[in-house]
Amino acid sequence: MANVAYQLGSSGYAANSAHSAPHAHPSWSPYDNNGGTCVAVAGNDYCIVAASTRLSTGFSILSRDVSMIFKLSDKLMILSPGFQADARTLHKVLQQRYIQYQFNHSRPMSVAACAQLLGNTLYYKRFFPYYTFNICAGLDEQGKGAVYSYDAIGSHERSGYAVQGSGKDLIQPVLDNQLKAASPLVLPPENWMSSLPLDQAVDLVKDAFVSAGERDIYTGDAVEIYIITKEGTRREVVELKKD
Amino acid sequence: MSGIGTGYDLSVSTFSPDGRVFQTDYAQKAIDNSGTVVGIKCKDGVVLGVEKTIISKMLEKGSNKRTFPVDRRAGMAVAGVIADGRQVVNRAFDEAVQYKSFYGDSIPGQVLADRVASFVHVFNLYWYARPFGTSVLLAAYDESGPQLYLVEPSGNCHRFFGTAVGKGRQAAKTEIERLKLGEISSEQGVVEVAKILYSVHDEEKPFELEIAWICDASDREFRRVPADILEAAEQQAKASMEESDMDD
Amino acid sequence: MVDPKAAAAVHSGHDPIKHTTSPYVTGTSVLGVTYRDGVLLAADTLGSYGSTKRYKSFERLCKVNDQTIIGAGGELSDFQYILTLLEELSNEDFCADDDAKLSPKEIYAYLSRVLYNRRSKMDPLWNSLVVGGVQDGKPFLGTITMLGVHYSDDHIATGFGQMLARPLFRERHRPDMSEEEATQLLHEGLRVCYYRDKQTTNKFQIAKVTTEGTTISEPFALETKWDYKAFVNPGALAMGTW
Repeated sequence: MANVAYQLGSSGYAANSAHSAPHAHPSWSPYDNNGGTCVAVAGNDYCIVAASTRLSTGFSILSRDVSMIFKLSDKLMILSPGFQADARTLHKVLQQRYIQYQFNHSRPMSVAACAQLLGNTLYYKRFFPYYTFNICAGLDEQGKGAVYSYDAIGSHERSGYAVQGSGKDLIQPVLDNQLKAASPLVLPPENWMSSLPLDQAVDLVKDAFVSAGERDIYTGDAVEIYIITKEGTRREVVELKKD
Repeated sequence: MSGIGTGYDLSVSTFSPDGRVFQTDYAQKAIDNSGTVVGIKCKDGVVLGVEKTIISKMLEKGSNKRTFPVDRRAGMAVAGVIADGRQVVNRAFDEAVQYKSFYGDSIPGQVLADRVASFVHVFNLYWYARPFGTSVLLAAYDESGPQLYLVEPSGNCHRFFGTAVGKGRQAAKTEIERLKLGEISSEQGVVEVAKILYSVHDEEKPFELEIAWICDASDREFRRVPADILEAAEQQAKASMEESDMDD
Repeated sequence: MVDPKAAAAVHSGHDPIKHTTSPYVTGTSVLGVTYRDGVLLAADTLGSYGSTKRYKSFERLCKVNDQTIIGAGGELSDFQYILTLLEELSNEDFCADDDAKLSPKEIYAYLSRVLYNRRSKMDPLWNSLVVGGVQDGKPFLGTITMLGVHYSDDHIATGFGQMLARPLFRERHRPDMSEEEATQLLHEGLRVCYYRDKQTTNKFQIAKVTTEGTTISEPFALETKWDYKAFVNPGALAMGTW
């Protein structure tokens, strides 16, 4: 297995070419890319979490209403675009660990603890990775927004906002511009937390998805948004273009 | 080395001078003192009935089961130590699953009975083992029709038209012999089983009746008899008890 | 006796254990729609061996229990294996004797784990499954791919049906359709599959699950029409072709 390079893409049996031998198949891949875009924005007293609901493979739309957001609690969520089967498995593993943690510690897991757990869980499968590009977001123990973003094998960092998935290239520069994040290279370090008021940040996230939906075929149908504050968590759905 | 067993009853790996394995005999005694279990093979199926003494007024009804399906086409009634019985039932279930996964069809009654008997017998062979304090009546329905088997702690296995084990077995067997088993349907069988269990029951203590069957009326699946049919059978059994009381 | 050196060679990668990398006998699309009283699934009865029509009466729709049916495309031997798994589970339910049965959503979740675990062993079960059922009085329809990707929707089509029948469903499906309307819609979907998918034959079955239970229809054929002008002479309206 070590020297196998997986090729992404549709692996349906219908892909059999008429010219090849009756049963020959190009090469089977255990992975697929089901697309989707996720955004999380941390504020001083809020956290916004959003994900598109389209499930795709290749040029096909499989379904228009599939959630990528996994709610561990009202204040702690994991967003996982990429390969849906791996994402659901990862969510199941985390759910297990989350419950176990509560039994052992008699309190809910903090965002920081969950962020580390997610990193470890991904790295555990370093040589057969979960093909997912996660964001872990919520309110930290001070009530501040907390956003962590990951690569598929678990390396991660905390930041003021994060974008992952198929629409990342379209949305990331917009958020970089609008949220005016201080570079982590600037010394002395500056606060990278979004200074936007909540309602403006929510509008920004919605606009970002509407724009991504215009150009990215894997982003569309609807965007599911959770707005997390110390008062509670609110869910909103904004319809996007279905084309 | 004096006393009742005189040393020959400590292990299942020692025969007594007159050729007995006392541990096996004692296991049989555990069954002889338990509630009566009867099984009859009727025209179109098998009926198994259990007399369960109610051990406490606080007992939840139906929580002390003694009949168990082990396959869609086979089931068991347990007399004696129920904890031991469940071991036998679980083994029978595993055998049925294994047979079906290999041959794609339900295990025949004879094969299942033989395999269960072999399993039970093994506990009569080693000094570190103890025989099961359990006799099981096995009801099965396969291509060759309905069948009834009895597997004893010794590993003995016999096929019967009708039989009974437990406290009231002698009287019950006498009653069974009077039935025309080749002529009655399983529906009638249920009534007869209820009558027998009522008649052999020691009137002082309250008891619960549990009856299961595998016959045409149950789609040839091993199931507990539906509540309304059981209720009707119990009414008839009680009525015939009162009748015989009047005769006295 | 097993030669230990030979046995070691197997595990050292010289002669690796082979897993399914392509299917042999396959079924094509499965279609499914929810409607007012439950779920309908539809599929043809062909088992293809490459381009050979190998088995012409293979039933790809099966009852799991009184509230669940499944349909399968892809490797048909793998499907039969999956059916034995479900039968074992249902026998366990029977012997547990507690009147509990696997619900459609439980079967769907179970099968998604089975298919995902097999793909994770690099030994996939080469199927697209569709699970239909009624749970808590509401219709349930879900699908699972060989990779373990799974989702539920009001209408579903696997394989070529995803391209051919699903657009029809998207245009015409309503959750409050009557059985007649839903059947009509499936017929349209099956017909277009038959016209354009070479692996589809004109011998279909429709399975129904409602609160009343499950039924699977006898195989039937659909009316087809081949004497459209464009079919008879496809070049007539296209200049520069023959």
